[in-house]
Parts: sequence; C-alpha cells; structure tokens
Amino acid sequence: MALLPSGIYFETYNERKTYIHTRPQWACFIIFLLLLAFLPYLVSLRFLGFISTTYIILIAVVGLQLTTGYAGQMNLGQSAFMGMGAYVTASLALNLHLPIWITIPCGGIGGAILGIIFGLPVLRIKGFYAALSTLAGQIIFPLIIFSLPLKMFGGALGLRIEPAKFLGITFVSDVSLYYFNMIISLIMIFFAFNLLRSRTSRAFVAVRDNDIVAELIGINISYYKILAFFIGAFYAGVAGSLWAYNLRYVGVDQFTLFFSIWYLGMIIVGGTGNLFGAILGTVFLRSIQEVMNHLGPFLVRVFPKIGGPEAWFGGMNILLGILIVLFLIYEPRGLAHVWNTLKLSYRIWPFPYTK
Amino acid sequence: MSFFWIDFFQCTIEGILTGILYGLICVSFIIIFRTGKIFNFAQGEILIFGGYFVLTFYSLFSFPMWLSLLAAFLCMAIIGLVIERTIMRPLIGQELFTTMMSTIALIFILQGLTIVIWGGIERPFPVVFKRGAIALGPFFLKRSLFMGGVLSVVLMGLLFFLFERTRQGLKLTAVSEDHKIAQSLGISVKKSIAAGWVVSCLFSSFAAIVFLNDQAINFTASVIGLQALPVVLLGGVESIWGAPLAGLLVGVGGAWAAFFLDPYTGGTMSKVFPFILMLVILLIRPHGLFGWKIIERV
Repeated sequence: MALLPSGIYFETYNERKTYIHTRPQWACFIIFLLLLAFLPYLVSLRFLGFISTTYIILIAVVGLQLTTGYAGQMNLGQSAFMGMGAYVTASLALNLHLPIWITIPCGGIGGAILGIIFGLPVLRIKGFYAALSTLAGQIIFPLIIFSLPLKMFGGALGLRIEPAKFLGITFVSDVSLYYFNMIISLIMIFFAFNLLRSRTSRAFVAVRDNDIVAELIGINISYYKILAFFIGAFYAGVAGSLWAYNLRYVGVDQFTLFFSIWYLGMIIVGGTGNLFGAILGTVFLRSIQEVMNHLGPFLVRVFPKIGGPEAWFGGMNILLGILIVLFLIYEPRGLAHVWNTLKLSYRIWPFPYTK
Repeated sequence: MSFFWIDFFQCTIEGILTGILYGLICVSFIIIFRTGKIFNFAQGEILIFGGYFVLTFYSLFSFPMWLSLLAAFLCMAIIGLVIERTIMRPLIGQELFTTMMSTIALIFILQGLTIVIWGGIERPFPVVFKRGAIALGPFFLKRSLFMGGVLSVVLMGLLFFLFERTRQGLKLTAVSEDHKIAQSLGISVKKSIAAGWVVSCLFSSFAAIVFLNDQAINFTASVIGLQALPVVLLGGVESIWGAPLAGLLVGVGGAWAAFFLDPYTGGTMSKVFPFILMLVILLIRPHGLFGWKIIERV
C-alpha cells in the first residue's frame, strides 16, 4: 500500500486521508459511476435484477464488515437485524403511510435497536461467547416478530406493502428499483468510507486488535463495542428497508441464519477488516450464487441419479463452505489483498518483486 | 394424584431424558474444545451424518444391526480424521475467530453433502433400541431414551476419567489452553486435535442413534446441534461433568417451559427456550457453572 505512482506525495494529513489521489483515478471512478448509472440501457433485465439485489446485500455486508471486520465483534445475526429493519419499515409504511425518507431511517434504527439488545452481552464477554449471543438473537428473531402486535406486524403471515414513492415517482418497475437501490447503497457506502477516516474507526481497530490495551490508552471500549453493533445493525436495517420495498412482502423466513452466514462468508472471501474487500466479496459470492442458480437445474438434469431436485442447493452450500475454508487457509486477507497485490505489481512493472 | 400432577411429572421425566440427550451432544462439543480449542458449530451436522451412515448400512446394504453400527462408527472416525487433516490442521495456532468460521463453513459443507448424497426427503430411521416404553408406576419412560441415558452416563464417566485423571488427558487439555505452548512442551497438537475429532464423531453418532431411534431423519434435524449450545455454555465449555448436569437443567427447564408457556405462545416457547436461557447465562455467568475462568494478561 505504501507504494504510490511516481510523483505523488502528500504535504498535509488531509491529503493523505483522501481515497482518490490522482486525476486518472478520478476519471476511472467517474467512468465507473457513469457505467453503473447507464447499466439499465446496457444489460438484460435479469442481470439488472441481480445487480439490484446485490446493492441491498452490499449494504448489509458493509455493515457487518464495520462490526466484525473493523471492531472485531463477531456477529451471527446480521440477517435478523435486517429482518427487523424490514418489518419496521413495512409496518410504518402500511399502518401510518409514512413517506420513505422517514421509513427507511426508522427501519435502520429498528435494526440497530435489535443489534444493541443482542450486542449488550459484549460488555461482559468476548470471543465466541459474544458470537453465541448474536446467534441466539438470530434464532429468537421469529419469536420476537410473532410476539409483536399482530395488527401492526402481521405475525406469521408477513406484511404486504405498497411500492415506495418519492418526489412523485413510484418505484415499481425493475429499472426504477435499480436506481432506488443504487442511490441508497452508494450513499451508505460513502458514509462507511468516511467513517473509516474518523476517530471512531481507529478506536474500532484498537478494540479489535487488543481491547485490554485499547482500554489502557483511554478508549471507552464498552461505548465503542456497542457503537459497532449500532452502526452495523443500522446498515442491516436500511438493507432490510430496501428489501421490503423491493419485494413488497416481508416474512420471517426471508431472514434466516443461512443468510447471516452467507454475509460472514462474503466478508471472509473479500477480506476481513477491509471495506473495499466487503464489496469485492459480496459481488464475487453473489456471482457464484447466480451462476449456480443457472447451472444447478442443468446439472441435475444431466446427472439425475444424485440427490434429487435439491441437489444443486446442496452443491451451492458445499461450494460456499469450501470457498470459505480455502480463503481462511490460503488467503486470510481475502480478495482485497489479491487486488492490492495486482495493483502494486502493475505499478512497479517491469520489476517482479511485490511485497 | 390429579391429572395435572401426573402430566407434570411425566413431562419432567421426559425433560430429564431429553436432558441426557443434550448432555451427550454437548459432550461431543466439549471433547473438541478440550483437545484443540475449537468451538465446533457443525456438531448437529456431524450427528446427522452419523445417523445417515447407520441408515445407509442398515436399510440400503441390509447389514445386520451390530455390523451396520460398527461400520457407521468406522466411517465417522474416518470423517473425523478427514476433517482434521483438511480443515483443522492448516489452521493450528490461528485465532478463535478463524477456527470458528471454519467450523461454520463446515456446517455448509456437511449439510450440502447430506443433501447431495441422501437428498432432502425424510426417511425412516431404523429401530436400534427396542420400541416401547418402560412403565414406572403411572409414568412411562421411552425405552430408547432410557437406554441411551444409561449408556451415555457410563461413557461420560469414562471420558471424565480420561480427561481428569490420566496423563494423556492432561496433554490434551494443555493443547486446549494454548497451541503454541503445548507444542513447545513437546505435545503433538496435530495428534491431539485428531484424537478429539475422532472421539467426538463417535460420540455424535452414538447421540444420533439415541436421538433418531425410530424417527424420521432429514437434514433439518441438525438444528439439535444449535439447540445444545446453551447446554454447553451452562456447563462451561471446558467441563466434561458439567455437560450432563447442565443437560438435565436445560432439558427439565425446556419441558417446563413447554408445559406452562406453550399454550400462550403458540408452541414457539419450547423451541426458543434454550436460546433465551443462553442469553441469560451469557449475561450472568459467561463461563458457565463449571467452566474455567480465564484471566487475561496483556
């Protein structure tokens, strides 16, 4: 990371903190954003839907990266926090007919409150004990929903809501939903990247690396551990809100332990403790999921002897599990590290040595 | 005695027997922790694997019962070795987060394998222990659970002796404290973890037989592995004799929760009771009743 293109140096700390240093980098970034903006005119509807859902998952995974990757608090309940956000949003939209600029932040707060409740045990315990408390949250989540008032939250039936409306636009078509997800996702990722340059994120990293030392140098570790859960679960809640507006139906079986583990897999594959890695990991694993969705039924037709109709689902699980294990063993720093290595070897070309 | 009391005692007895089952599953968690500092989330999947092996040898290859049990135990031992060699050995000395994630990945791998090999449909599990119930006055004990209970108490006694009273057990325990220190004292971390996984897999398949005897088997039954987690916590992750005791507490508590609260919560209370208990334990006494209280130094 230390190597920069020739002639780039910093004179102030603020310059050092920027993410984009040079003009070509700005150009690449703007071209990338334009590409995202014009994607609906370039690709098929099905692919657009895939990218659109990826934006939602991305928000949840970025939140998880902040909690688990940066602050080091293992979280096995991200999916439940997302579900809480979805339910809060759906309930507010259905019962009070509130506009989206109120319901989406409220969904985020809803997820965050659940996150704090199940994050509270980290004040006393750490390591896998804390992970177990979020696991408990994930499994208790359906009970929480069922015990909330039936009229407001729909219980086991779930909630059906109207499409989102903003400035006279109704987000109902695939293309409009794509822009809706893209804009909110970009805003959330922007905030996450900004958070990384603040005292908060440095405190998170200190708590992750050694919380006893962090406390000794004057960081209020209880506050920052809870804050990590708050921020991560807030992201999950916002992702849940988008989920609610995209599917326009919310049910408890959309938010299971299975997805929580998928999200964890995404940050491991992408690189734990690297925000850019969370994005890479999400896109990578989502692509694999999509390929398996296409390839699975085909494989089952070719080899009908194995397993039966669920076999491709099983195959996807095996693939995900093996990927996580391979990354843990061979590339614990994830795809982000691979990306950095590639970038570096491009910069010092033709010299082969990269470190 | 009124019907209420008969019902109450009946559900308590069933709770005790379920508790023994929990204890059994919980012991297989603890063996892995006590030999290698690995917290194994995939215990439920391993258990289901053991069950499916018995089913395959008995129903598909129509081996006699004793042979199919033996074959299943052998296969499980091999699976334990394979897991140790492929996943756990490269991760020796890593942080707890890494090994924990690797066992979570193991959940996916084993569950996927179960679905691919045996399919997602429910199958009847063979009768290993004789069907029926033992009458005890006005109460009935399910024979399979009773037999399983007696056997598991004996097995747990043996394990306790191994871990607490022999030199070998002490070596295994040293590994669970710190891989590097154990290695530098000349204890083979690899062998210790391998031994743990093999013994734990054998225990899991025994638990599978007790748990699934004469019931339907499906890959979703592996949720019992997660339900046993609160028991592990209550007993303390390092304590072998804490496991059966905590199992009894959780089993009876769960039975009472189902008996008193299920009518008001629509049957969900008994399912989530262990997890609510887990939260309470985590908040009040995180290292469990008999676990080690580890003091950290910088």
